[in-house]
Amino acid sequence: MTQIQMQNNQPFDLDSIIYLKSGAFQKAVLDELAEGSRMIAFTPVNRNNPRQVACVFFNANISSIVLIGADLTGDDFRYESFANAYPHTNYFECELAEMYGCIPVNHPWLRPVRKQNVTSGNVPYKFFKLGGDEVHEVAVGPIHAGVIEPGHFRFQCHGELVYNLEISLGYQYRGVEELIVKSNPVQRIILAESIAGDTAIGHTLAHCNAVEALTQSRLGLRAEVIRMIAAEIERVAMHLAGLGGVANDIGFALPASSYGRLRTLAINSLALLCGSRFGRGLFVYGGTRFDATPEIVQKIIGNLLEVQHDVRKINEYFFSSVGTSSRLEETGTVETAVAKNIGMIGLAARASGLEEDVRVLFPYGAYRYNPVPMLTLATGDVFARTRLRAMEIEESLRLILEQLENLPDGEICAGSNAWPVNTGVVSIVEGWRGEIVHMACTGVNGELVQYKIKDPSFNNWYGLGMALRETPISDFPLCNKSFDLSYAGHDL
Amino acid sequence: MIDAIKIRVLQGDPIIHDVRNVQMPPLYRGHPVIADKPCAAGCTTCADACPVQAISLNPVSVDMGRCVFCPVCEENCPEKIIHFTGNYHVACSSREQLVVTAATKAVTPEAASKKIKNYFGKSLKLRQISAGGCNGCELELNALSNVNFDMGRYGIEFVASPRHADGVVITGPITQNMTRAAEICFEAVPNPKIIILTGACAISGGIFKSSNALEREFLNRHTPNLYIPGCPPHPLTFINALLEWLGK
Repeated sequence: MTQIQMQNNQPFDLDSIIYLKSGAFQKAVLDELAEGSRMIAFTPVNRNNPRQVACVFFNANISSIVLIGADLTGDDFRYESFANAYPHTNYFECELAEMYGCIPVNHPWLRPVRKQNVTSGNVPYKFFKLGGDEVHEVAVGPIHAGVIEPGHFRFQCHGELVYNLEISLGYQYRGVEELIVKSNPVQRIILAESIAGDTAIGHTLAHCNAVEALTQSRLGLRAEVIRMIAAEIERVAMHLAGLGGVANDIGFALPASSYGRLRTLAINSLALLCGSRFGRGLFVYGGTRFDATPEIVQKIIGNLLEVQHDVRKINEYFFSSVGTSSRLEETGTVETAVAKNIGMIGLAARASGLEEDVRVLFPYGAYRYNPVPMLTLATGDVFARTRLRAMEIEESLRLILEQLENLPDGEICAGSNAWPVNTGVVSIVEGWRGEIVHMACTGVNGELVQYKIKDPSFNNWYGLGMALRETPISDFPLCNKSFDLSYAGHDL
Repeated sequence: MIDAIKIRVLQGDPIIHDVRNVQMPPLYRGHPVIADKPCAAGCTTCADACPVQAISLNPVSVDMGRCVFCPVCEENCPEKIIHFTGNYHVACSSREQLVVTAATKAVTPEAASKKIKNYFGKSLKLRQISAGGCNGCELELNALSNVNFDMGRYGIEFVASPRHADGVVITGPITQNMTRAAEICFEAVPNPKIIILTGACAISGGIFKSSNALEREFLNRHTPNLYIPGCPPHPLTFINALLEWLGK
């Protein structure tokens, strides 16, 4: 067996990785990809030793995470790119090249991920350019017309229609992964909360799951359930923000303001639980810092019942409007095959008909005992991404309210053991945007030697590019909002 | 039409009428207060535990410009000297004023100059620059224009173009990759103009202070007018900062 198979949050011995040489590595990875596996990480297991890399896959067929090691020393840090046959791997290869100088030979589109205008080896990067009469280029950003994170967008247009959209990010690069490796445990949780401030709970949950798996901390059911409730409130709150944003972008003021009001109720519920409207401070290793007292539970139930009642009425009003259908349907479509090919995940993938939900495929924490349904839509347009948000809000509220009324007893914080040496773990969580992957590896003294983070936006930004093809440029804001991707989570 | 009216009725009266006196949830962590009593001999627990080095000892002080308002110091102090209150009025107009000592019971920004009040007292348009912000501050700033907080009623609004703005609101620790864009944006704002730093990251680098991907020279070239602490600051903190500063 040249590969390691493991479950979500199952620690593995780093010494058991077999680092394959070039030919064998090629074959092993191509075999794995041929099975329909999707790459979720491509990184050295030790930041200080970039010649030994691990390629990690999500294999839904055997419900396992698969890790294949490679030693690229003999090949002068080069390997043959997998992206020509399996396009979804291309961005992972770009990232590995940029961070650790491992060059994918014959890569179709080696481009900067977080650096500005240079590819690996400081080669100047030229944006894709369309030639011909009546072709024009529109460049937007990094600063946009709103209170929003920075990113640069280049549209190659023919009249109103976009032929190609190139997305250039990295403006938010703060070096989160390196900081997590260097920091102490208290700082690490705050850093995890700040990977993407809109997904504070999702990322912190992935981080805590990884650390708790390494330190063999056995959480009580009460803590697991409180965490799940918090994660689902975050999903409801951000989906409400997304619905409000879409309503706003089509100039439908009443639903826009109504969704905004309901979002306040949802995030104020998080503030009841932990003092912060984004769930900051709730998580500690081994459980939660605060308990959900009966008084808090009653108040949250009150808030969420109001959300549940009102959101149904507002959805009915919003989605039954002819204006809504005409603006959202068949706008910014990503076909199922395209979504699959470029490795889209999470909400956007489900809206394109792909069954991608970590809570169902790789259940963790309290989701192991409380299954959620796989909700998908087929059309892959703005309408599907918007409608799916409404469906998921309904489902999440059901789950939260059910759990709040039957909170299990028990401790909210468990103890932990010492950090193991030479051990790795992969932790996957379904954030509100989609699959969040955290991979942690320890060294000979049990210290962290690698911490790799993948936000769902890392996969899905290219999906936005595909959605814009043959779409009027004036629909960009609407398409962008329907994806609602993170810049900070991508840039790290 | 009738459906629209029903939805509007459902909306009720969601606006916070008195933004100055709102009862925060019990666990909300706002202005820290420091009890005027001695620490246990040689104890450095709070300063050691603080993830952002916001605490100085002998005597104890908390720098709200660094603080991320996690409860770690309060949790760990054996003498219960530091306590986070529900007071969300935490903005200041100078960096030094953000350092809370045992003598500090509450803070309020010093009133803006007469010139600033003349120019911006009735209408203030702001351009936000996200320079490495995690989107936490950005979401709270966006919330300012929802039906609950409705900052527009005070004549304060965010605008799309720096050309239309009277000042900038900076969030995030200012990354190298954003330093040029931030400078260009600020240059594009006509004089007189103000700078508001929002969140621990913008004020001090926050949890990212030791990152080598930051470039905070912007703040050596330009002087901020208002500091709004928090991680992220509550929308009410932001509104009150401006109301107090502009004397509204």
